[in-house]
Amino acid sequence: MAASELRLSRPARTHSVAPIRRALRAFLEALAFDGSALDDITTAAGEALANAAEHAYAQETKRRHRDVELLARFDRGELSVEVSDGGCFIERTPSPGRGFGLRIIRAVAHQIQIETSHGTRVRMLFPGPPLKS
Amino acid sequence: MNEGAIQTIRLAGELDLSRKRELRDAFALSNDARAVLLDLSEVVYADSTALTELLRFCASAQGANIPIAILIVAPQFLRLVQYAGLATAFKIFQERGEALHYLSECAGT
Repeated sequence: MAASELRLSRPARTHSVAPIRRALRAFLEALAFDGSALDDITTAAGEALANAAEHAYAQETKRRHRDVELLARFDRGELSVEVSDGGCFIERTPSPGRGFGLRIIRAVAHQIQIETSHGTRVRMLFPGPPLKS
Repeated sequence: MNEGAIQTIRLAGELDLSRKRELRDAFALSNDARAVLLDLSEVVYADSTALTELLRFCASAQGANIPIAILIVAPQFLRLVQYAGLATAFKIFQERGEALHYLSECAGT
């Protein structure tokens, strides 16, 4: 089976998150993900997207047009979902009402890598959908 | 407690970052509330923004000694609460009748 890929880039704004999330969900459905796996991957990606949209460029003084990008790639039975931005990464310790996003991602993704050298890139790995007999 | 004494807050659709302000406005205690039913049974997706606002609201209600029952049906939302480690932070019900029964018991009637 050839690799499948979804690549999207949108302005890092709060209203950009839902359309990207829905596009990812449609991509996953086309790959036969369903049920809790479909929900969980969408949830994890949604948290990474929301974090980028809310915080990545929050400390910039100039209101430049900056993007958040999603790259989902399914290859050889494994799904990777990357969310990247050109801003700064903020990891909060869960405390009254904050910092749940990463906790949720870590609970869902089989692996997670966070690179913060040039902007922020959150890479999450998931197993593929179960083969249907 | 009759249902008239219960403040019901109902939200639907996708509760995510883009609705943060709306959530904060919606999650407000009315002056005469003796109990609150948060009916989120028509929510199809939620993220940590919703959890944050739920926590904030529940803390303020707890401070006012007002019980809150939360009605959640969507499996995604229910699992989100588990993943965030908040399963014991809220009184969550999947049936409206059970939520109302809980609120009545809290009022001791």
